[in-house]
Amino acid sequence: MRRHGPMAAVVLAAAVLAGCGSDAGSGGKTEITFWDTNAGPARTPVWQHAIAEFEKANPTIKVNYVGVPIAQSAQKIDTAIAGGGVPDVADVSTSGLANLVAQKALEPVDERIARNPALNGKFNEALLTTVKNVVPDGKMYIYPTSTNAGAFWYRKDWFKDAGLEPPKTWSEFFATVDKLTKPGENRFGFTIRGGSGSIAQMLEVVYGQSGVTEFFDAAGKATLNDPRNVTALEKYAGLYKKNTPEGDLQNDYVKMVAQFDTAGSIAIMQHNLGSYQDHMKALGPGKVASFSVPRSDSGTQSVLSNPVGGVGVFSAGENKEAAFKLAEFFASKDMDGYISKETGVIPANTDVTDKMPDHIVEAQRVLNDPATKVVQMPYHLPEFNEITKTWAEPQFQKVLLGQLSAKDFLDQFAAKLTEAQAGYKQRNGGS
Amino acid sequence: MAVVSARPPGSRPRRRGRWTPYALIAPSVIAMLGFLVYPMGSVIYYSLQHYNVTKPWDNGFAGLENFARLLFDDPIFWQSLGFSLKWVVVQVVLQFLLGLALALIVNESFVGRAISRALVFSPWAVSGVLTTAIWVLLYNPFTGISRYLADLGLMDYGAAPLANPGTVFWAAVVAELWRGVPFFAILLLADLQSVSKDLYEAAAVDGAGRTRRFFHITLPHLRDAIILSTLLRSVWEFNNVDLLYTLTGGGPAHQTTTLPLYVAALAAQSHDFGYATALTTVAFLILTFFSIAYLRLSKFGVKA
Repeated sequence: MRRHGPMAAVVLAAAVLAGCGSDAGSGGKTEITFWDTNAGPARTPVWQHAIAEFEKANPTIKVNYVGVPIAQSAQKIDTAIAGGGVPDVADVSTSGLANLVAQKALEPVDERIARNPALNGKFNEALLTTVKNVVPDGKMYIYPTSTNAGAFWYRKDWFKDAGLEPPKTWSEFFATVDKLTKPGENRFGFTIRGGSGSIAQMLEVVYGQSGVTEFFDAAGKATLNDPRNVTALEKYAGLYKKNTPEGDLQNDYVKMVAQFDTAGSIAIMQHNLGSYQDHMKALGPGKVASFSVPRSDSGTQSVLSNPVGGVGVFSAGENKEAAFKLAEFFASKDMDGYISKETGVIPANTDVTDKMPDHIVEAQRVLNDPATKVVQMPYHLPEFNEITKTWAEPQFQKVLLGQLSAKDFLDQFAAKLTEAQAGYKQRNGGS
Repeated sequence: MAVVSARPPGSRPRRRGRWTPYALIAPSVIAMLGFLVYPMGSVIYYSLQHYNVTKPWDNGFAGLENFARLLFDDPIFWQSLGFSLKWVVVQVVLQFLLGLALALIVNESFVGRAISRALVFSPWAVSGVLTTAIWVLLYNPFTGISRYLADLGLMDYGAAPLANPGTVFWAAVVAELWRGVPFFAILLLADLQSVSKDLYEAAAVDGAGRTRRFFHITLPHLRDAIILSTLLRSVWEFNNVDLLYTLTGGGPAHQTTTLPLYVAALAAQSHDFGYATALTTVAFLILTFFSIAYLRLSKFGVKA
């Protein structure tokens, strides 16, 4: 028995190591892992259905679905890149793409798309441009699947009772919010996102009001502290506690949507198309609808570029061919149409002909309107997330509390972005 | 003197005996190297580096730059350190006083003592995140206490203790007290039960009242338990992340950001691991010096 010990150990180790490989998983199938980086009750079943369809079409591949809540997804992916254990495929948006490409974590997909007649030339050109612009080498690192758009969700029943129409301009917006605010009855005209994720929504209101159409001027200086933006921020911050609950100072998405959907105390909630399912489940189509970002009083329709959602294949994955197949399946006409419709976003594949709900049709109208000015958010800056999350969010809370002026806040914010932009240009051979 | 060997003549020396002690302590040594020395060495190494995964072109040896930045160029470091110290002092003092009071009460004989003890200790069994979830709901302006007070006309609708700079500190303190008081109550009650009843009887015979018996018998007996529990709790409260992270996220406007919360934000959001580990190193040094000084000054373990 003792003499057989080393041999048994070798055999056992070989068996264990063989089991660790993912090439031949259960029943000889190739196993790959897909991370849904914005998992939740509204999106998880949609991805799971899409995966089931993929497995039906590709019986030799098994896909393991892993749902990661959006608040933890960036951290979990960074940890996986640093320590091993990255997924084969994940849904990745342009807001986090520069970070992943800087770490050389993703495979470029340009050539795969060029070779695939079902995808080549089928993506919305504006979205392709956004995807290429966020990385220094101008390559595609994700298959684009969707984009989002700012949306103001409102209580249809309250508007009807008050005889109000959805506002078309920002002046109308502020007047409407005033009319719908009745603090003594626990009703507030608006809810401000003051906590996690506040900056993108604040910028949407500021640029939307001011009509400024570029994030950086020709010299590379951030336009954030343009006097028109300062005035716009003062007006936006002035809503806090006058037309909003005090608790808005700490609002993240979950708290904001709970106030709107569950507590039923808010007339208008600013978010994007992605919260459609939550509103429909809680309030139903009879009580809630959305309007697009209002025009500035000068008539300009300025909207912020929203992140483009897509699917990326990780370089460290072992089964790249299967991973590419899955990513291409998600980006294909049928699946992109299904996923976009179910999650309430705009599909990237131009072959999608599914009839979309009203809020998506309205968002597409605004985006496709030649008069609409799209302010390109600087997702290409690796510092953007650090500046907006770690620095700007607490400073914005100070503005809401009146501890910091809108001008000082935007001056400092603009200086940080201007410096980051200069560094980016220098590193990438710009002037 | 003749040396008598227990080994039978002709047998080989028991070589195994020489290595047995090393083999026995090897697991502990390996565990300490793996779980203590390596992580600490790694933290110190990275504190001397620029290491940010989103800016790999800047990564490299930094020398003491990260430490110079935190000392001279980072107001949030000083603000979060100041808040950490305030948080520790308020929490440990209040938790200790309330925990001692509860321990003295449930140490007495009365009807329902068993259920009272269970109730006193139960918050300690609740996980940190669950505790926070309970208090987030209680403080929620639409589902919590303030909603009901507003219905009664005692507050404005929408008032939120966690969003008001004037109330957020004490709102967080109350939530943490709910969880922390049982810790002191459990430890102090365990020590109280070892006080000899003869001492109290003798003191009573000598005419000592309850107050004198408390200060001359109970408190001296609890001395070492108090020193150890306050030290442990100080370190834990300094490192508090779970409750404040979930309850306030360090806000509003950094008003409840402790040093570890700031480190977590730098690592998780900014990916600035080099600077975050420099802050961690400083926090480690502060806690080490505090622990040594506290034990020395309090003469822990020295008989009075």
